[in-house]
Amino acid sequence: MNIRTMASVFAATSVLAFSMPAFADTDLKIFVSSQHQPDVWRKVLDKYEAANPGVKVAIETGGNTSEAQAQYLNTVMSAKDTNLDVLMLDVIRPAQYAAAGWTSAFENKDMSVYLPAYAGANTVDGKVVALPAFADAMFLYYRKDLLEKYGIAPPKTWEELAAAAKKVAEGEKNPDLQGLSFQGKAIEGAVCTFLLPYWSQGKNLVENGKLTFDHDAAVTALKLWKDFVDTGVAKKNIAEVATDDTRKEFQAGSAVFAVNWSYAWTHFQGAESAVTGKVGVTRLPALGGGEQASCLGGWEWGVSAYSTHQDEAKKLVEYLSSEDVSVFMAANGSLLPTYAAAYGNNEVLKAVPWFADALQVVETAKPRPVTPRYNEVSEVIRTTVNAVLAGVTTPEDGASQIEARLKRILR
Amino acid sequence: MTTTSILNAASNADRGPPAWTRWLDLGDRALGVVLLAPAAILLALIIVYPVLRLGYTSFFSLSLTSGLPAEFVGLENYSLMLEDPVFWETTWNTVLITLITVPGALLVGLALALLANLPFGVQWPVRLSLLIPWALPLSFAGLIFAWFFHSEYGVVNDVLVRLGFEGIIWFNSPNWAFAAICLTIVWKTSSFMALIILAGLQTIPRSLYEAADVDGAGRVRQFFEITLPLLKPSIVVALIFRTITALQTFDIPYMMTGGGPGTSTSTLAMYIHQNTVSFLDLGYGSALAVVMFALSMCVTAVYLRAIRTKE
Repeated sequence: MNIRTMASVFAATSVLAFSMPAFADTDLKIFVSSQHQPDVWRKVLDKYEAANPGVKVAIETGGNTSEAQAQYLNTVMSAKDTNLDVLMLDVIRPAQYAAAGWTSAFENKDMSVYLPAYAGANTVDGKVVALPAFADAMFLYYRKDLLEKYGIAPPKTWEELAAAAKKVAEGEKNPDLQGLSFQGKAIEGAVCTFLLPYWSQGKNLVENGKLTFDHDAAVTALKLWKDFVDTGVAKKNIAEVATDDTRKEFQAGSAVFAVNWSYAWTHFQGAESAVTGKVGVTRLPALGGGEQASCLGGWEWGVSAYSTHQDEAKKLVEYLSSEDVSVFMAANGSLLPTYAAAYGNNEVLKAVPWFADALQVVETAKPRPVTPRYNEVSEVIRTTVNAVLAGVTTPEDGASQIEARLKRILR
Repeated sequence: MTTTSILNAASNADRGPPAWTRWLDLGDRALGVVLLAPAAILLALIIVYPVLRLGYTSFFSLSLTSGLPAEFVGLENYSLMLEDPVFWETTWNTVLITLITVPGALLVGLALALLANLPFGVQWPVRLSLLIPWALPLSFAGLIFAWFFHSEYGVVNDVLVRLGFEGIIWFNSPNWAFAAICLTIVWKTSSFMALIILAGLQTIPRSLYEAADVDGAGRVRQFFEITLPLLKPSIVVALIFRTITALQTFDIPYMMTGGGPGTSTSTLAMYIHQNTVSFLDLGYGSALAVVMFALSMCVTAVYLRAIRTKE
């Protein structure tokens, strides 16, 4: 037997060995943001593995904020790394991923089963680029006990909130109790900080991909927050406060009101909370006679375009985005469902009764601008909000800066 | 066929030295080239190629978020840069950090080195305390000092209040935030200066000081006439390294302020990182990086010239 024959025999056997899928396991790796219950997602994956023999799914986590995770994933995806098959993406990112060609599109997927906002957020230029993982929105948390003590109803406008905060502060005489905690640090949350009162005046930032910036509404929005700082409703160092700082301050009992996402609720009811049973949650207030606006959050599942297991990864994502999993994650992980019917599910309402009122908030929440250059839009808004709150820039100059810089990005 | 070539090689070997030993006969010049080749190839691959590639990319409009292929635009990225207020602000911040922290670290480092060179009975605690700030990763130092300067929980404000002053909201004001960053950088980098200067100090022969004592020169005169002139080479080396790392300042302001409030404490390196990693605008980010590279080269050239004239 000469060398050539030996080589061809070897090649033939190896082709046989690799073409027998019955014996080969598919190993999938999914990226889950560490702040969104990776241990509860693990239980969902265990169920999936049990139902699909031969498929193993490993979770990778990293970074503790949306920005840190985006930087990590940007690096992995720019390098065309095949390691990650499925990615959990913040609702603001699918447009960027689609433009960069980093996610594979889902063909013939009926998106009408989801809440309309999530069908929209995951559809870019008519293509379904990701499927919803869970919903989220910003809420107003308030100290039920303190409002009852002073006979105040939960505020419907920001003006009522300021008056309520002042009344409680005068009565309590506690220098450590601040009126309102919100996000003033230059992080993603500060984008929503700006947009909440801006939207409340009936204005939009972007319509049909075109910038529709309203200078006066922006000044009013920035001025609202700056006045809260100047009049003592919010504390002087609010420009240092990030999302989880707000959560910790309210949880420690040092704020009457707090603007935060839904994840905070579970913490407020936890063993380490100083305010268990004293917390109310409601829609965010409106500005004057405007509408009550909230910021749409939530995360999505995308399949990496560089994954070598496209079909298996898509099958997994279809499962993770199904109504059953949405109900399970709501009941076990307090993540808001992306299916309208799930908000009335008994299992969900037994675990998290306040979800009954959350549907209306999620349904009316507004999405942040959908653009592939969202990171730049975000950077402009959050650094300006931060500068205004620190007193470095006036609300007027801040609004002009946002307008000038957004014009260059959204040409 | 393989067999025949082996046989040929064997018969060649009978006639003279085997082919693989022929390099032994190379001249000095050729031998030098051969011996340098591995290092030169490695450096070319990991330094020269990326730098050239960076320069090449800087002439393209290449943004991963645009969904468009790379397009040659000549010097457009550079002309955009000149009109970009954030570029000028971050460059100015970088220069200011360099101008403040390099002399600052030199002075503190020199003092620390002189202190460590004193004839202590036990040397290791002094040496260890010099090494620790140097060995600490930059981002850890940034995180630790961000806590030190925190307006509510920070130790700095706690001390200020106990001393009867009013606490400062450090990261709420561009000037205080800048001061906090510079203090942190000086703390972090002066030990590196001290280590290099300490090594220089130990090469100065004791006999010079003994002779100066005999001639009646005081401590201060000895420092300026003996210590400082003989330390100059070490100081220049330390300054080159420190200045270049100062121009590349990233970690400490990134961890402490994230560039805030607004963009008032953002550095050029942070702006490059933001444009490439976060905005995925590789063309513009490359052009910014080319500017930083040129800046570092200029500074190095100035220092190298300073050394050469001394020799």
